[in-house]
Amino acid sequence: MLAFIIRRLLTTVLVMAIVAAFIFLLLHLSPGDPAAIIVGDNATQIQIDAVRKQLGLDDPLALQFVRWLLGVCRGDLGISIFSHEPVVKLITQRIEPTLSLATTTLLLAVTIAVSFGVIAAWRVGTWVDRVVMVLSVVSFSVPVFVVGYLLIYLFSIKLGWLPVQGYAPLTQGLIVWVRHLILPSIALGLAYVALIARITRTAMLDVLSEDYIRTARAKGVATGPVLMKHALKNAGVPIVTVIGIGVALLIGGVVITETVFNIPGVGRLVVDAISQRDYPIIQGVTLIFSGVYVIVNLLVDLSYAALDPRIRY
Amino acid sequence: MTTSRRTFVKGSAATAAAASAPGLLRAQTAPSAARTLRVVLHGDLKIFDPIWTTANMTGNHGLLIYDTLFGMDDKRIPQPQMVDKWGVSDDKLTYTFTLRDGLKFHDGQAVTSADVVASVRRWAARDGAAQHLFKRVADTPIKDDKTFQIVLRERYGLVLDALGKLETNLPVIMRKLDAETDPNQQVTTKVGSGPFIFNETESRSGQRYVYDKNGAYVPRKEAATGIAGGKIAKVDRVIIDNMADEQTAVAALKAGEIDFYEVPPIDLLDQLEGDKNIRLAVLNEGGNVGMCRLNWLHPPFDKVEARQAMLYLIKQDDILKAVFGNPKYYRTCGSLFGCTGLMQSDVNTDWFKAGQNIPKARELFQRAGYDGRPVVILQATNIAFMNNASLLVAQWLKEAGVNAELAASDWGAVVTRRAVKKPVAEGGWNIFITWGSGEGFDNPIGFVAHTANGEAGWFGWPKDDLHEKLRDDWAMATSLDERKAIARKLQENAWNYVPMALLGQWAPPVAMRANVSGFIPIPAHVPFWNVEKA
Amino acid sequence: MVDATTTPIALAPSRAARRARVWRFLRRNPTMVLGLVILGAMLLAALAAPWIAGNPYAMKPIQRFQPPSDTLWFGTDNLGRDVYARTIYGARVSLAVGLTVALVAVSIGLLIGLLAGFFHWVEALVMRLMDGLMAIPAILLAIALISLFKGSVAIVIIAIVIPEVPRVARLVRSVVLTAREQPYIEAAIASGTRVRRILWRHILPSTFPPLIVQATYICASAILIEAGLSFLGAGTPPEIPTWGNMIASSRVYLARAPWTVFCPGLALALVVLSVNLVGDGLRDRLDPRIARRM
Repeated sequence: MLAFIIRRLLTTVLVMAIVAAFIFLLLHLSPGDPAAIIVGDNATQIQIDAVRKQLGLDDPLALQFVRWLLGVCRGDLGISIFSHEPVVKLITQRIEPTLSLATTTLLLAVTIAVSFGVIAAWRVGTWVDRVVMVLSVVSFSVPVFVVGYLLIYLFSIKLGWLPVQGYAPLTQGLIVWVRHLILPSIALGLAYVALIARITRTAMLDVLSEDYIRTARAKGVATGPVLMKHALKNAGVPIVTVIGIGVALLIGGVVITETVFNIPGVGRLVVDAISQRDYPIIQGVTLIFSGVYVIVNLLVDLSYAALDPRIRY
Repeated sequence: MTTSRRTFVKGSAATAAAASAPGLLRAQTAPSAARTLRVVLHGDLKIFDPIWTTANMTGNHGLLIYDTLFGMDDKRIPQPQMVDKWGVSDDKLTYTFTLRDGLKFHDGQAVTSADVVASVRRWAARDGAAQHLFKRVADTPIKDDKTFQIVLRERYGLVLDALGKLETNLPVIMRKLDAETDPNQQVTTKVGSGPFIFNETESRSGQRYVYDKNGAYVPRKEAATGIAGGKIAKVDRVIIDNMADEQTAVAALKAGEIDFYEVPPIDLLDQLEGDKNIRLAVLNEGGNVGMCRLNWLHPPFDKVEARQAMLYLIKQDDILKAVFGNPKYYRTCGSLFGCTGLMQSDVNTDWFKAGQNIPKARELFQRAGYDGRPVVILQATNIAFMNNASLLVAQWLKEAGVNAELAASDWGAVVTRRAVKKPVAEGGWNIFITWGSGEGFDNPIGFVAHTANGEAGWFGWPKDDLHEKLRDDWAMATSLDERKAIARKLQENAWNYVPMALLGQWAPPVAMRANVSGFIPIPAHVPFWNVEKA
Repeated sequence: MVDATTTPIALAPSRAARRARVWRFLRRNPTMVLGLVILGAMLLAALAAPWIAGNPYAMKPIQRFQPPSDTLWFGTDNLGRDVYARTIYGARVSLAVGLTVALVAVSIGLLIGLLAGFFHWVEALVMRLMDGLMAIPAILLAIALISLFKGSVAIVIIAIVIPEVPRVARLVRSVVLTAREQPYIEAAIASGTRVRRILWRHILPSTFPPLIVQATYICASAILIEAGLSFLGAGTPPEIPTWGNMIASSRVYLARAPWTVFCPGLALALVVLSVNLVGDGLRDRLDPRIARRM
């Protein structure tokens, strides 16, 4: 067990290194001068040369990579071209809204999706099942920004129930915090709900057709406990897998959702950086988000051991 | 409710500590919502140096935290602002100024002549009106901490007008150490002596910019008109929110989440007009005039025929309709000086009266020897007017046989690229679209886009000696009639050599919550003193 | 000598049997057929755009915000452009990106997966690399690439392909691993058959069912990502009408002229939906078990 954990951790470190290397290489494979890209369009040649010397951009690539990687481990992700602030500072300033959004979306999506998937599997073949499946395919197909604007139009403009945009920090109160996050969570989570619901349903169906479930039913165990105790736990592996994969969906969707709902999170930071051609921000955020994905998957893998005693790596 | 300096200092220390402590503490030091004004303006605040840039957003920032020596009132007469007493020598060549008492920078230092002279000199290196003035300035001696002089070589009627101008580049007064920054570099500090203080800890780049009332500011006793008079801050905090999404901003205004929106899209005004909680007002009567700046340095617009072609190419009505929809808010205009001011006329505007004539434009391009090379239009996609005007101009150019290319980016990138004088292939440009205030256009001296002094001038770098001479004459003129006559000559000459093409005039309303009042109507900028929330 | 009595009887059931088969197929897979029909219609429309669509670029501000009518089926936008024409042309970009990404990602992933499944040293080297690439969110990678190179359809395609390849590779690898354990493969290896022949004739065909299913999901996902990128202004150059940038530039007018958002939005949803339906149908018919195991 311990060996498994250690091996997994080492793999994670290796994967992160690969991600970092790839992101590092992007800048150096691009047609422009890396120093000019880092310093921005407004810079003079003197400033560009100074940065080149400061970052040691004339050194061999491997050496540059190691130096850059060490800097990253120390928390140095570069300086934003436009605001002249360290990228790390900008990200930490704006992490709270993004984390809040991700958390509420995750909670909302998982609860709804798993329930729907379980119900659909339980009532497989009936109209309930069909409706769930159709809804999930449709939800999966409509883009986040279309859903977002429809929700705003209906619930904020026409009905006035919820705020149109923006984010309220938790310090301003739980209710107000939640109110600002309801619509964005729904918009962002819809595709996620669809995905998880389908996988849950399939996994549950697989498990429900197993012999031991039939035995349990034959022994007279009620459907509820059967579902929850036996089936769900055993279906846990694929469900947790897809939750892990879905984090990638969330990360990509956060960028768009924050733009639609004007949430001042890390996603918006990146979108603003696009138009400003602020590459250090783009690079820093990509690195962080990839790191999050890797760690989430690590956790997912580790949770396998808890869910399915048969899995031993 | 004013805060004394001591409470301000304590407050700022607490804020600094709270910024590193968990967010729970932060909430206690912020002013209440009723004393906070949340506004959305026309763009993001990227540059903080009003002397360095002509961007109007920076002008708004400038008016908040800086102060000026003079200020135009509502009759466009320069009134003293930071200056207490001033006088002119009998030969009209020496202007002596004495500063008011109680002027302090936000870091506590008193404002001295040294700061003033350094700031004015820096401004003179950047601004068109200032350059026009300083061609005649012999020296700016400092007499003592509060007294300084401007000594002219020859008489000049617009000294105070220049020092009090309300168009960018604003002649704000900075600390000497900031003002001594190379004029070609931006000042990034935000320390002025104005009625508001920039709150660094609460501000977030790209997101919101927070200004707190400066309790130590001593406003003048006169009523506020234009940018003259007493600048009394009637709210404790102004927050400029950056909302790129117009629908979001309009919806936020309706929901009361913001108090003021500078640029509600005309197409969305009907959503706002029926709402009792929202008031529309036209703050800028002269509105704005769109301009299509042509790059004189490189072909094809180095040839006058190509520039003349643009006059026949552009259909102002199409552009205005596309962007503003409702004719109530726009008009076409053939005058070089806009159509709401005193200098307008219809001299030499037959091309305008005849309307769009693509075949003639095509012919003129051929006469200019246009060789088919790409003509690059810098398209700012995030500003509706610039975006749509660029698209239409590109379409018309193509119809006239010109190989138009759109270089899409955001306005910030356009601002950067328009400064490039190199050929197109090396990162230059041929056309970019922007606008200036109608009032600005009415002023051949104060308005930077009216210079024709070649590469020392504003982007596009038109050069015409007669134009410059006529501008000098206008500055020296002593009566309104004389100025109007010179303006007619200016326009007649201008539409022959064509410094730029104009795209029509519009005066859209701003939108605000009904409980907000006190906005002073001036062109181009939105001052926040005098504004209060009921 | 042909027996005149048997042949006509043999022919007739064949034609009827064919029709019955088709009908059965339709009834058992209604959603998949629906998806195919919609997708087919979209593809045809996209290909025929220059002939059926009109001019998507012409701006006529005088006729801005015309609601849908007999002459302007989808109305006009804020610049007076024909929304119908722009929607059809937008289909070209979306479908081109979707199909190209699916094709390229599947091809590359197939190659890598085959090699990794068969050769241990390839697996050790490459699969970690795949894990790394999979960690980078496609949108962020696209944003990074577009800010470094110039935005174009090609860059968008490359950016979306890169994180999709590892998923395909993993899928193929697991198929190969399973197939390898089959006795007849072991026998083939033992009897000295060349590896390439084994791969080609035996293993490769077994990868096709799950690959095809995966390809449809990749296509759907790519279309959505491209739309998202255009929406953010980080995708294809803005002159080209894409559903994403149409929605982005028209969203301000959602209340006033909903057709400007609704038409490209609906088209986008329909295309993605139809691809997903086809993928689901294929998955149900081919091997559901393998397709699920990623």
